Amino acid sequence: MALRLIRFLALMAMFFMPIQAFAVLKVEITGGSDGALPIAIVPFGSEGMKSPEDITSIIRNDLESSGRFAPLDNQDLVSRPSEQSQVNFADWRLLRSEGLVIGKISSQDGENYQVQFQLFDVYRGQQLAGKRYQVPASGLRALGHQIADVIYETLTGEKGIFSTRLAFVTQITAGDGKKWFALQISDADGANPRTVLQSTQPIMSPSWGPDGDQLAYVSFENGKTEVFVQQLQSGQRKSVASFEGINSAPAWSPDGKKLALTLSRNGNPEIYVMELANGDLIRVTNNAQAIDTEAVWSPDGSDIYFTSDRGGRPQIYKVSASGGRAERISFEGNYNASPDLSPDGSKLAMVHGANGGFYIAVQDLKTGAIHVLTDSGKAESPSFAPNGQMILYATEQKGSGILAAVSVDGRIHQRLSESGTVVREPAWSPLKK
Amino acid sequence: MKHPIVQTLLAGGTSTILHILLFLLLIFSFDMPTDIRQFGQPEVEIVQATVVDEDLILEEMARLQEAEEKKRAAEEERQQKLDEQLEKTQDELARKEQEFLDMQERAKLDAEQRKQEAELEQQRLKELEQQRIEQEEARKQAELERQQAEQAKQQAEAERKAAEEAKQKAEAERLAAEQAREEAEAKRKAEEEARRKAEEEAKRKAEEEAKLKAEEEAKRKAAEDEAKRKAEAERLAAEKSRAEAEEALQRQLDAEAEQRKQQRITGILDSYGLQIQQRITRYWTKPANAEAGLLVTLEVKLIPGGDIRSVRVIKSSGSEIFDRSAENAVYKAAPMPMPSDPDAAQKIINEGIEIYFKPE
Repeated sequence: MALRLIRFLALMAMFFMPIQAFAVLKVEITGGSDGALPIAIVPFGSEGMKSPEDITSIIRNDLESSGRFAPLDNQDLVSRPSEQSQVNFADWRLLRSEGLVIGKISSQDGENYQVQFQLFDVYRGQQLAGKRYQVPASGLRALGHQIADVIYETLTGEKGIFSTRLAFVTQITAGDGKKWFALQISDADGANPRTVLQSTQPIMSPSWGPDGDQLAYVSFENGKTEVFVQQLQSGQRKSVASFEGINSAPAWSPDGKKLALTLSRNGNPEIYVMELANGDLIRVTNNAQAIDTEAVWSPDGSDIYFTSDRGGRPQIYKVSASGGRAERISFEGNYNASPDLSPDGSKLAMVHGANGGFYIAVQDLKTGAIHVLTDSGKAESPSFAPNGQMILYATEQKGSGILAAVSVDGRIHQRLSESGTVVREPAWSPLKK
Repeated sequence: MKHPIVQTLLAGGTSTILHILLFLLLIFSFDMPTDIRQFGQPEVEIVQATVVDEDLILEEMARLQEAEEKKRAAEEERQQKLDEQLEKTQDELARKEQEFLDMQERAKLDAEQRKQEAELEQQRLKELEQQRIEQEEARKQAELERQQAEQAKQQAEAERKAAEEAKQKAEAERLAAEQAREEAEAKRKAEEEARRKAEEEAKRKAEEEAKLKAEEEAKRKAAEDEAKRKAEAERLAAEKSRAEAEEALQRQLDAEAEQRKQQRITGILDSYGLQIQQRITRYWTKPANAEAGLLVTLEVKLIPGGDIRSVRVIKSSGSEIFDRSAENAVYKAAPMPMPSDPDAAQKIINEGIEIYFKPE
């Protein structure tokens, strides 16, 4: 009853209030810049000691390289606080920075390090994120990426991918003139590469298991194509496909229980799905006139996208993972190959042939529209980052193969490896579990 | 319901029954003579026989006699039987004839009865009619009597009225006489009263005249006072309406001035809104993943220098990141330019600014 009375009075008050009370100035903002977010990253305090890793630089590089952040130059920093009590927010507001990162690192024994960081909203004077870690010296680099991930996710709402890894194949010529192939893994920024397998015979098509613990790849080490699965922690590996003919292009199903493969055991290269637990095979494609290869799974595991020249030229097709009629997906141009699906399944990355060159393109699977993202004309092997924002690919620079990445909107371009070695066939790992 | 045959019989009448009876008689009469003729012949042959041998004849005669005896006995027996049968047949015929006669009698009786019943019915109808006529007659008679009674009653009433009128007339005459007597008395009294009244009137008139004169004097004086007061009131009213007119004019002038001021402020605010829009747009870093359809509404309050007093999310876009980017854009745009017009500036400070952010 009282509530109703109050409501009634409120209604009456609205009626009799002077109209001007609502006539505030109304302004609509739609423009805005798509530019990078200004952020202040204050070098972490180190209490006099020298840190074996420059964590602040790692964080800074990660955020900057994503194209989404514009860290202030160190010389523009108005002060160097390392604790909240030393922060004067008004100073940082004048710099129009949207975030302020401070932190410190300390060590008692030079072996184990304590690291803490805080991310502030300078306009409200609030902490948005803050964490404290304890790591060995060898973990400092990874920790830098981890902190960058936290900052990235807090300010953009998307998963950070700085702690993920890349797999790729390098080719080097040793001092004795011998050629070596290596399967390597690096941090997401291309730094810290380590070799997983080395061979004088070609290695191809690395593919990450969904848990990020194992890789499938093709090796010629036994004089023919053969698919292996290798545990990254232990280095243990196992040949899973060494049938008559071609054994290639492995791709993990989202649940990690199956591998899609290209096999020519029955004469013509077709897509098969292998149950890893028992090696059972299901034949998914059946087209004796064409090569069907480069399978990838849809995120729900129900479909397989692959490359086929059944129409005369390579195009992307889709088929049920249990086999059946294939449906053509790519139509623009007369060359589209090497499909990869975004983690949400909405976009298809591929190598798009045009004007005699090969470019990375993204097709919106809902509208069918394609968007060419690169301009060098020598791109290959696109691979989506696990947050769907970047696409890793291999390209050529000054005659040498390098790794590069481009944002799905084509705005941000990165080069991840220096030229000098030949780097090919990259694959972006899943998010760390 | 009667049996169909009986009905036919009844309908056919006596002649049919007679025919049937004759037929029955014929059957019996043809049968009987045939048998009787066959019995007479042996007797004749016995008479014509010749004697041959005495003994034999005797013997024969005895034998014949015995045979004759036997034959005769048999014949007698037979005759008797025939007689019995004849008798029986005759009885039967007699019975049948009797039945026929009975039937005829019954039919006759029935007809008689029906005739009697018809006559009775006729009689009854006649009686009913008679009764009806009698009743009608009685009713008419009653009516006539009633009318006569009515007439008698009316007559009696008329007589009663005549008597009454006569009585009333007598009473009226008596009253008229009474009245004349009373009037004479009243006239006398009136004359007396008139004389007395005339005397009183003369006296009253004299008094009244004196009083009237005094009243008129008072009235005249009051009128003079009223005229004076009225003139004063009119003077005051005129003064008041002049003041009111002046006030109304002033009010109108004020309202017009206020309106001009509001128009001026509105004009200033329009261009001020554009300034604000440009400034905030410059400082807004749109989140890269901001989808079309997001919309956040902020209420921004300023202090006189154009710095931010408060930023409040009135309606969130649902995305924390998007809301924050909008809030940050406002903070980064501070201090806001302020209109040089003090009224417009005051309005901004009083009412604040509502800002919508949406990705294009």
